[in-house]
Amino acid sequence: MRRRNIHTWILQTTVFLLGIFACLMLYIVYIQVVEANTLAVNPLNHRGTAAAAEVHRGAILDAQGRSLAVTSAEGEREYPYAAAAAAVTGYIGEKIGATGIEGAASRELSGDSEEFSRLGPIAQLLRSSQGNDVRLTIDAKVQKAAYEALGNRRGAVVVLDAGTGAVLAMVSRPSFDPADVEAQWEDLRQRADSPLLNRVLYGLYPPGSTIKPLIADAALTEGVTTQQEIFDCTGKLDLGNGYTIADSHGEVHGRINLKQALMESCNVTFGTLAMRLGGSKLQKAFERFGFAKSLDGEMASTAPHLPDFSRLGKGDTAQIGIGQSKLLVTPISMAMLASSFANHGVMMRPYMIDEVVTPSGTVLRKAQPSQWLKVDTPEQANLIDGFMEQVVEHGTGTSAAVRNIRVAGKTGTAENAAGADHAWFIGSAALPNRQIAFAIIVENSGFGGTEAAPIARKVILSLLDI
Amino acid sequence: MLLGTGVLELKQYPHLQTDFLPWLAAVIIASFLVQFFLQRRLPGSDGLLFPLVMFFSSMGLMMIARLKPVLFIPQLRWLLIGMLVFCLVVFFAKQIRPWLHYQYLLGVTCILLLLLPLVLGTEIGGSRNWLVFGPFQVQPSEFSKILIVMFLSSYLADHRNLLTLPSRKFLFLELPPLRFIAPLLLIWSMALLMFVVAKDLGSALLFFGIAILMTYMATGRKSYIFLAMVFFSAASAFSYFLFAHVRVRFAIWLHPWADPNGQAYQIVQSLFAFGAGGVWGTGFAHGHPGFIPEVHTDFIFSAIGEEFGLLGVILIMIGYAILFYRSILIALACQADQQKLLAAGCGIVFFLQAFIIIAGVTKFLPLTGVTLPFISYGGSSMVSGFILLGLLAALSKKENGHA
Repeated sequence: MRRRNIHTWILQTTVFLLGIFACLMLYIVYIQVVEANTLAVNPLNHRGTAAAAEVHRGAILDAQGRSLAVTSAEGEREYPYAAAAAAVTGYIGEKIGATGIEGAASRELSGDSEEFSRLGPIAQLLRSSQGNDVRLTIDAKVQKAAYEALGNRRGAVVVLDAGTGAVLAMVSRPSFDPADVEAQWEDLRQRADSPLLNRVLYGLYPPGSTIKPLIADAALTEGVTTQQEIFDCTGKLDLGNGYTIADSHGEVHGRINLKQALMESCNVTFGTLAMRLGGSKLQKAFERFGFAKSLDGEMASTAPHLPDFSRLGKGDTAQIGIGQSKLLVTPISMAMLASSFANHGVMMRPYMIDEVVTPSGTVLRKAQPSQWLKVDTPEQANLIDGFMEQVVEHGTGTSAAVRNIRVAGKTGTAENAAGADHAWFIGSAALPNRQIAFAIIVENSGFGGTEAAPIARKVILSLLDI
Repeated sequence: MLLGTGVLELKQYPHLQTDFLPWLAAVIIASFLVQFFLQRRLPGSDGLLFPLVMFFSSMGLMMIARLKPVLFIPQLRWLLIGMLVFCLVVFFAKQIRPWLHYQYLLGVTCILLLLLPLVLGTEIGGSRNWLVFGPFQVQPSEFSKILIVMFLSSYLADHRNLLTLPSRKFLFLELPPLRFIAPLLLIWSMALLMFVVAKDLGSALLFFGIAILMTYMATGRKSYIFLAMVFFSAASAFSYFLFAHVRVRFAIWLHPWADPNGQAYQIVQSLFAFGAGGVWGTGFAHGHPGFIPEVHTDFIFSAIGEEFGLLGVILIMIGYAILFYRSILIALACQADQQKLLAAGCGIVFFLQAFIIIAGVTKFLPLTGVTLPFISYGGSSMVSGFILLGLLAALSKKENGHA
C-alpha cells in the first residue's frame, strides 16, 4: 500500500511536470509558426539590416533598366536620380531604417527573398553574397519630367497605367537626396514643409472639384438625376441658416445639364446632387470607389479621411459634393479614381515592383497585374470618362490638352485651412500603346486649371517622346 | 549502446568547422571511454542517460563554438572534468550512500554553501551568487542543489510517516506538528532569502519547486502544496512591493514592448530570435543571435531557436523530457524510498531547470537566470549536472541489477 502510494505520487508529479512542459512546447510552436513573421519583420529587429550588411545590395532599376539606386564597389549606396526619384526609392540607413522601395523590397535587395526565407539550411545554399535587382514599373524619364514640372512648388504627381495599375511616376516635393538623409536627418525631420513625407501615398488633401466625377457617377447610379435633367444655376445655392455655396468668380452657369455642369465645374449643381443623395448614398459611393480602404505592399498608403456620413448636416452634405468639408483624400486615391473611369470601371491594384531578378538573371518574381475593385459598369464609366474628355476639350482643363491625344480630366481648386487654394488635376490620356491615369496636386498655388493641368500636359508629352 | 553514442557524436561533430583541437579529440575519446566504463562497471544501468547528455553537451559546444569561440576550449575542458566527476561518482557510489544518513549535516552544508557567496561573494551579472578563487569562479548554488536533493530525499524518506500523520486539522488543511515541517519551511525561507539578497531569482524558484515537488512525492499531501502556494504568493507579493528589481522583472514580462531598447532589450531580442528562426531556422551560423546579451549562457536556447528553428527546439525539449522520463523510471525501479526520491529529485532538477529557463527566454514566465543543463556555458553547472547524472546512473544500476 505504501509502495503504491509513493509510486502514484511520483507519477502524478511526473504527469504534472510533463503537462506544463507540453504547454510550453505548444507556446513555442505558436511563437515560431504563427508569430514568427511579425517578429521577424519588426522594425526593432535588426537582423534584416545585419544580414543586409553582409551582402552587396542589389540595384533598383526603372522599367528601361536605368539605375535608380545602385551600390558602388566600395559599398556606398548611390542614387543617380537623387531627389527626383526619392519618393520611389526611399532611403536606407542603419539608424533611420528604410522607406520606399529600399524598405518594401529590402529583403529582395539583400538577396533574402520571401520565397527563400525560413527554409533554414536550404536557403543558405541558395543565397549568394550578391543581392537581387528589383526592376520597377517606373519610367525614370517621366519621373524626372514630373519632378521638374512641379518646379519648386510643394505638391505631388502620380502617373499610373490605367489598364494594369503599374506606377509610371511618383513624385513628391519638397524632396531629399536619399544618399544624404542620414547626415541631415534631424533637419529633414523637423522642417515644416515635411520633405520626408511621401505626399502621393500619405498626403491628405481636400479634393475640391476633382471629386465631382464621382458625385456625377453616384447621382446617375442612384437615379437622383438623369443626363437629360436641366439644372438652373443661379450662381448661389441656399443651404438655409444663411449659408450658401457660390460658384467661383461669381459665375452664373444658367440652364445646364450634368455634362455641362461637370465641364464648367458648377458648384451649385453638385451641391444639389450631393444633397439629393444624402449621407448614406454618398458613403456607398465613396466606398464603391475604394475611398475607405488603404493600399498595402510597396504602395502602402493611408486611407482617405471620410466624414461620418450619418451625422452630416445639410450644409456639410452639399460641401462633400464639391469636395470640401471634412473630406480628405490622397493623390493616389484620386489617380485610381481617374483610372477606373479610363479603364471601363475596373480599378487595378497599383504596383511598382515589376520583377525581382537574381544576379544570375533568374526572375524570382514577376508582378501579375490584378484587379483591386470593380467600381462601375463599363457603360457608366465610359460615360463619365466622356464628360471628363469634354472638360479638357472645352471646359476648365484645356491647358492639359495634347494634340492628337485623347485626354480626359477634371480640375480642382480646393479651399484649405493652410492658406491659398490647392490646385488639382486628375485624369487620363489614351497614348498609342497604353491608357494612363494621373493625379496632380500643387499645394497652395491657386487654380487647378492653370497650375496643375499644365503639369499633366508635360507628363503626357514626356511619355510620347520615346 | 556504444553505437548509439557513436551515431550521436558523428551527427554532431562534423558540423564544427574549426581545426581539430586536441581538446575536442580528448572529449570524443573520453565520451566513448565513459560509455565503455559505464557498460563495464554498471552492466544493468540506463544506457540512454549518458548519450542523451552527450547530445546536449555537443549541441551546447557547437553553439558556444559559434557564439563565443574563446569559450570553446574552456567548455571542452569543463566537459572533460564533468565526465571525470561523473565516473568518480559512479565509481564511489557505494561510499557516497552513507552520506545520506547525515541528513542534517547535508542540510546545514547546503545552507552554508548558499550563505557563503552572500558573505564572500562577488556580484556577476546582477546576481550575488559567485565565489571567485583566483582564476576560478564557482557558483555554489549549483552544488547546493545536489545537496538539497540528497537532503530532502533522505529527510522525507525517514519522516514521511510523521509528515503524513494528521495531528492537527486547520480548516481543511491537515497539518503535522510544526517541528516536522520546520526544515521545509526553512528551505522555503532560504529560497526567499536567496531571491531577495542574492537577487538570484532563478535558483530561488528552482529550490522552491524542488522542495514542493519532492515533498508531494513523498507524502502525497495536497496540504503542503497549498501551504507552499500561500507561502509563495505571500513572498511574491511581499517582494514585489518591497524590491524594485522584482517589479522591473515583472513589468518586463508583462509589457516587453514598452521599453524594447532598454530594460526589455534582452527578452525582446530573444523573441526576435525565435521569430527569425521560424520552423526551419536560419541554419547553423547563419542567424544573428549575437544581438542577445548573455546569449552563450542563459539565452543559449534562443540562439538554438534562431539557427535550428522549431525543429531544433522541439528536439532539445523532447530530449529533456526523455531524460526526465528515464529518471522517473529509474526512481520507480528503486527499492528504498530514499533512493526513489533521490532519483526522482535528480530528474526534477534537470527538468525544472530546463523548464524555467526555456519559459523565461520565450516570455512564457518572467525571465529568471538559470542555466540550461549541459547546454549553457558554465563550469559549475556542467560539473554539478554530471554529479547528479552520476547519482542517477548509480541508482539505475543497483536496482536493475537485483531485479
